[in-house]
Amino acid sequence: MQSHHEPSRRRFLKETALGTAFLLAARLIPLGSLRAQGPIPRDLRFLSDHEYLVMKALAERMVGLRDGEDSAQPAIDAALRADRFLAEEDQEIRTQFHQLLTLFSSTLFTFIFDFRFSSFLDMSPEEKDSYIEDWMTSSLAFRRKGFQALKRTCMSMYYTDPKSWKPIGYEGMFLPEDRR
Amino acid sequence: MILSGRDMADPIRESADVCIIGSGCGGGPTAKILAEAGHRVVLLEEGGYYTTAEFEPSEEAAYQNLYQKRAGQATEDLAITILQGRCVGGSTTVNWTTSLRTPDFVLEAWRRDFGLRGFSSVELQPYFERIERYLNIHREPDQHHSPNNRLILDGAGKLGYSAKAVGRNTRGCVRAGVCGFGCPFDAKLSVDMTYIPDAVKAGATVLADCRARKIQPSGRMKRVTGTVTPSDGKTPEKRFAVEAPVVVVSASALHSPLILLESGLANSSDQVGRNLTLHLTTAVAGLYGRVIYAAGGIPQSATCDHFMNRNGDGGGFWIEAVPAYPALSAISLPGFGASHRKMMTQHAHLGALIVLVKEIDSSGRVIPDSRGRPRISYTLGERDLAYLKEGIGEASRVHFAAGAESVMTLHTVPTQFHSPGEIQRGLDHARWGMNEIVLYSAHPLGTCRMGEDPNQTVVDAHCQTHDVPGLFVIDGSVTPTSLGVNPQLTLLAIAEKSAEWLAENFRTIAS
Repeated sequence: MQSHHEPSRRRFLKETALGTAFLLAARLIPLGSLRAQGPIPRDLRFLSDHEYLVMKALAERMVGLRDGEDSAQPAIDAALRADRFLAEEDQEIRTQFHQLLTLFSSTLFTFIFDFRFSSFLDMSPEEKDSYIEDWMTSSLAFRRKGFQALKRTCMSMYYTDPKSWKPIGYEGMFLPEDRR
Repeated sequence: MILSGRDMADPIRESADVCIIGSGCGGGPTAKILAEAGHRVVLLEEGGYYTTAEFEPSEEAAYQNLYQKRAGQATEDLAITILQGRCVGGSTTVNWTTSLRTPDFVLEAWRRDFGLRGFSSVELQPYFERIERYLNIHREPDQHHSPNNRLILDGAGKLGYSAKAVGRNTRGCVRAGVCGFGCPFDAKLSVDMTYIPDAVKAGATVLADCRARKIQPSGRMKRVTGTVTPSDGKTPEKRFAVEAPVVVVSASALHSPLILLESGLANSSDQVGRNLTLHLTTAVAGLYGRVIYAAGGIPQSATCDHFMNRNGDGGGFWIEAVPAYPALSAISLPGFGASHRKMMTQHAHLGALIVLVKEIDSSGRVIPDSRGRPRISYTLGERDLAYLKEGIGEASRVHFAAGAESVMTLHTVPTQFHSPGEIQRGLDHARWGMNEIVLYSAHPLGTCRMGEDPNQTVVDAHCQTHDVPGLFVIDGSVTPTSLGVNPQLTLLAIAEKSAEWLAENFRTIAS
């Protein structure tokens, strides 16, 4: 592809001491009261409490249920499903996903990349959408790659749940009369 | 006998005449032919063994149990998702049954550019005919095409493009639309349902959940070692070793080269892992006023072959249908949030076509990462990119000709057309960089290519490595070029041809 010479997240994070230092610094910034942001399952296997809330907020914006839809259908906790899924991934993927969530959500990086002064969790819904779009359309290859990783995780966790099927008109497999 | 990891002793030690690594298009036929010739065969499969009753018709179960990396395998930059089976039967267990003979111009290029003898269409014809009979490969009657496949036949037909029904390896298909999840009706004649049972009947032993890591030659024998990871996720990991004078690596174009590289074998040409082609694929969705329900019915039964090798350069593209399962659709459709949700709620009205590019100037490579897993890189060439753009444009025209109200590409930033007149301008303004359009592959090929020159290729015309007598690679790794068609039938024919030669010459090779 034309953009294979663009800087990658691997180069930024792993081959520069600066990137590592930023990641560490971002994790030291106080997070405030997480419980105030919503209930957190007590048996998370991969995500931290903060990461769970980020994934939950992100999945809501990614899936984009319209007004009234979320109360009219059974709730799907895509963040919890992602927690279970990612817990089974190998160590390298898990480490990269933790780094990605830090990059995506911390105030330090929202400021560095977008001159925004709030963390992802503290943004309004409209700001969240605008911020996600910045990642989607970024000129930096690693941010577009990050967007894809986050989108695939959110969408696959939501739409592999059979509870998501009826509202979109998916009826599962066709069965002939004699097999029903 | 087929054993799963949980049923095996620890450690497992076996000896055989032939050890085959991988149970898909390459390993399955090789096991059958050698076992029926009276040889003791041990067949190793990294994935699990699932019977028809265990196939669940859902993306979640299928991706978890039957696909490499739970369907998340991708190039290092995440730009191209590569779907591959990981179970007894390999990708044939989860493919969409399309069975096409190798195009003549491809075989001619193999002869011309790689000195391959014995691979003309006339010489392969007996193999194709035999496999087509064995797997009941047939074209569906007109009334069996799903509305999604009808878009190709009707739309391309109106435009004057060549379009036709494709061969399918099924018997008694109920058109449930779940080929990609493993057929729960015994209707798909995949390798796990045909070659493997016949190999077992002839005495072959199949060991599932066994991931081969290394081959160590010692005198006339070779020792294959690796780990057993039971797919039940509970039984502890074990180790295995199989000794045999002949080893056949059939672990796919992404995994066979890794075994050779980790073993330090057969790479005097420095070509192992190089020359990867992906049959690069993207989709084009059309929104229709009528229900299409692209997730149902036969997933693939028609193709538009009008644009292949039209310029005589060996490149071009095909247009086929794709089953739009919910998660696959959600990951692929552009954007996110409310606009994405709107598309998802129109799911039943979406028609889904794919464009598959036969590469001529792209370059790919696979090397092992620190855990011996594939690290895949791929650079799309300029001519292939031009064909990709042209293919998206033509698939969009097919949609409009079939009655679509609007058409959208899989560009990350939504790119939508409301009439054929908007297509070219939209494509000219679209961005084509990494992760700016969603790309897939289900046909990785070419990483241990076959040819006469040991300085340029890895295996000879019988799929035996140039460097190590008695060490074969029989799978999608050996194709010298991209095929331009779904590779199942080509790979089965190469496997049958190579395995026959191996059986006929076994005594010489094994000594």
